[in-house]
Amino acid sequence: MEISRDAYRAIEDIVGAENISDDPAFLDSYAFQWLAELVRPENSHYMPRPWAVVLPATTEEVQAIHRVCNKYGIKIKPISTGWYHWAAPMKDNEPTIQIDLRRMDKIISIDEKNMVAVVEPYVTCAQLQAEVMKLGLNINIIGAGCSTSIVASASTYFGAGPSSYYMGNNSDNLLGQEWVTPGGDVVLTGSLSSDCGWFCGEGPGPSLRGVTRGNMGSRGGLGTYTKCAIKLAPWHGAAVLEPQGPPPAYRLPIPENTRVYTIGVPSWDAFAETYLNIYDNEIGYIFHRQFNLAGADLAPALWLTYLRPDGTMNDVETASKDPEMQKLADEGRISFQIILQGRSVDEVKLQDKILDAIMAKTGAYKVGRFCEQDFAEFTHMYLQRLGHKHCNFIWVGGYMGSWMQAGIPDFVKNYSPVAIDGFYRDQKQSDGLVQCGGDALMGCGSSISGGGYFGFEQFVSYDPNDKASVQACVKHMYDAIDDCKANGIPLGKEYIYLMIGWPDEQIWNDFSKAPQTFVLHFQRKIKEHFDPRELGDRNYPWLPKGMGQPNFITQS
Amino acid sequence: MALEDFRADAMRCTRCAYCKWIPFDHVKSWKYAKGCPSIEAGKFHSYSAGGRLVTALSLMDGRSTVTPAVEDSVFKCTMCGLCDVSCKLCRYDMEPLAAMSELRATLVEDGHVPAQVEPILKSLRTEFNMLQKPRAERGNWAKELGLKDLSKEQAEVVFHAGCRYSFDGDLGHVAKASVKILKQAGLDFGIMGENESCCGGRAHTMGHRKDMHTRATHNLTAWKKAGVKTIVTPCSDCYHAFKRLYASTEGSEIQVLHMVEIVDQLLKDGKLKLTKAVNKKVTYHDPCHLGRQGEPFVAWNGVEKKIFGQAVAYEPARPRYNGAFGIYEAPRNILKAIPGLQFVEMERIKEAAWCCGSGGGCKETYPDFALSTANQRLDEAQSTGADAIVSACPWCERNFLDANQEGASKLEVLDIIALVEQAL
Repeated sequence: MEISRDAYRAIEDIVGAENISDDPAFLDSYAFQWLAELVRPENSHYMPRPWAVVLPATTEEVQAIHRVCNKYGIKIKPISTGWYHWAAPMKDNEPTIQIDLRRMDKIISIDEKNMVAVVEPYVTCAQLQAEVMKLGLNINIIGAGCSTSIVASASTYFGAGPSSYYMGNNSDNLLGQEWVTPGGDVVLTGSLSSDCGWFCGEGPGPSLRGVTRGNMGSRGGLGTYTKCAIKLAPWHGAAVLEPQGPPPAYRLPIPENTRVYTIGVPSWDAFAETYLNIYDNEIGYIFHRQFNLAGADLAPALWLTYLRPDGTMNDVETASKDPEMQKLADEGRISFQIILQGRSVDEVKLQDKILDAIMAKTGAYKVGRFCEQDFAEFTHMYLQRLGHKHCNFIWVGGYMGSWMQAGIPDFVKNYSPVAIDGFYRDQKQSDGLVQCGGDALMGCGSSISGGGYFGFEQFVSYDPNDKASVQACVKHMYDAIDDCKANGIPLGKEYIYLMIGWPDEQIWNDFSKAPQTFVLHFQRKIKEHFDPRELGDRNYPWLPKGMGQPNFITQS
Repeated sequence: MALEDFRADAMRCTRCAYCKWIPFDHVKSWKYAKGCPSIEAGKFHSYSAGGRLVTALSLMDGRSTVTPAVEDSVFKCTMCGLCDVSCKLCRYDMEPLAAMSELRATLVEDGHVPAQVEPILKSLRTEFNMLQKPRAERGNWAKELGLKDLSKEQAEVVFHAGCRYSFDGDLGHVAKASVKILKQAGLDFGIMGENESCCGGRAHTMGHRKDMHTRATHNLTAWKKAGVKTIVTPCSDCYHAFKRLYASTEGSEIQVLHMVEIVDQLLKDGKLKLTKAVNKKVTYHDPCHLGRQGEPFVAWNGVEKKIFGQAVAYEPARPRYNGAFGIYEAPRNILKAIPGLQFVEMERIKEAAWCCGSGGGCKETYPDFALSTANQRLDEAQSTGADAIVSACPWCERNFLDANQEGASKLEVLDIIALVEQAL
């Protein structure tokens, strides 16, 4: 089905002919999305092809496009820097305009005194961080890395990252927003709506943060966010990051007020205790379990090879067989990275002493090789900028994160062994997954502002160019769901991913069994108000009338 | 290779968009974070390396056909290779630049050649240069210099001026400065004079591989006859063609040196003294073909293998071109050795350098795009407070000079060898 030429011309009139395309190859470049092969028929790498892609430059243009879509009944799907299967249209045979926001790439303002920045959707975390560091400030970069859009992470998705422990989640750091609803209205949220500036997400003015994003965000399913303000955090490092050395493992020298460690612990109990003690004592700037994405068995072989500019995967294979490397894998089997940063050298020395005391108490230890200067400087660069997050795909280009339930440390320490055993079992059953040991759990030290609550994602690597491997990953996703159910653990990321491929009825059937389904009915009413023609897609979840329990649950 | 050989690259692309940016660790500002001139101009995802991989896949699978829009997205790219560096920060199984080159060649083989290319190719085929100049004028710059003519004599070293230094009146002095330095160093060398031929490198990057093969055959035959074992050139385009393309496509093992490597070594050996002050504040632009694409070629003929179940390795190990071993320090050493010269760096340097806009045939086929790309580089150069932008490639310099005439930049555009001559 072709898009109405009248609609096409109407949008063309808004943005100019050079900023709209319905060329099939161009559209395929938007339909081709990471994870599509896990949910699409025949494991196709393509999500449904949009009927046109458009590049607006202003909020006014976005609004005008939305209004044309309303007139002609065309679905709306914005994308900024993004990747993910849910960045594409959801359904076949449903006319969808892909709104590519790359022309909206400006930093509108940086309020140094009040620690607030206002940005458009195509400003990446790397760009804003580079600018605010010049002012002694920093931003929380989400776990997906610094290539991501700040507006996307703050307005439409989780927003957690290694620095959330100190700086907060971007869902919390979100202040005022400018939102073009699917219906074509421009809504200002928080203090912005009262003409009081961008400084607050919850008023004075309507407190719409829960409406626009909730916990998980609408992932492009509820219109287009055209600007947002983000809370900034203090930065006590250099005004400009000056990486050293050749690619790929650039290194960032460690200044006197900073410490960078990889800390190992003897057990998951010790992990939880160490984490809680660090959190209780309010030390640390970044807390992350990063390098385990390669799998605990292979992490030392991979990362020590990665330090060499001419290192190859063949070298990783050789290194993995070295007994010394296997010893190092055992030493760092349950480990994490922490960066301490003080406002002064004395302060970081104090943090260091506290960390030493905590380690003595919990049996934690520094993983020697990973704390040597070369690797520590690499770790410093990696975690301060998060410019290597594409290493998520380093083994073969396919990675799917299962689990990732967030909770208090005791919850995480209890589900981690289940996740490890299940992943290991699935690796042993098939050659379809990268055999990296059962523990490829990676994650940041906080899923809410200030720490105390976190989760791990199991890094399942598969070959997108090998259908059997893709299918092994899909099997693992369903296995993980079964493992969760069998152990009384809430479902994780794999469930959210799989849902993208399900028909509406299947999703609604599952939703109707969720606790407190009134939330989903409330969201339906929000949708009816802001999206009367249903032009946003089901990434904004809701339930039809009559399904599930529509009322509040009262506990007896 | 064939386009089908890059199917796995396309299938394994995750659309992460690293190919659109400089390596993120090197981002120092909002303004100079972007790395891909093509998508800056074309805006749609198809104008990025990742987008072109999908285009290749879509064409191979018959999901789409070659339209004017597709042609534009494939050819409006300087092939600067920044995407390749950024992609390989985290990947060992992707070759985006090689895949884009293959896509171009495939389109060309299928008859999709931009109309503006025809006269340029005609000139290459008949006059042995792409500047549409008479072949007979090629050696004019060297007249009265008393250089050995290697079409008649023998020498182990040939100085190859290249098309741009041979025919471009604004830049011809660089060829003369080069031979002056080589003479001063006591090197036994010669030139091919009017029998010198275009390297063919630009034709190759534009997708016209047969034309490069013809030029390569001509050059390699002539050099062999003259007993040449080393080629010296001040042109980074030629350097890349001889060092990487001739080696990979023709099996050439001849030694290739850029003038900056010669000068750097002469300075280190004390055989060249720079004594005259050059009181300028300059910044240096890394040519793509000398920098990130100037890495040594390593022959490889292997196959993919799986390790750890599904991870990708190669048998034997595949050489890794990620910009780590380009020629970056030699030109900087030279600039730092010039008395009175103040050298300042731009934000995007070495493997992360922004392209001048001239590469991939864009100077010839998309001149407006080439100039807008150059203007962005000049803007960055001006932001350093420099008086001049220095480079080591005539194509970069020509494009900067042209952009200077149209843009806001008042920067002087200098060749590094010309600067050395001033300091002698």
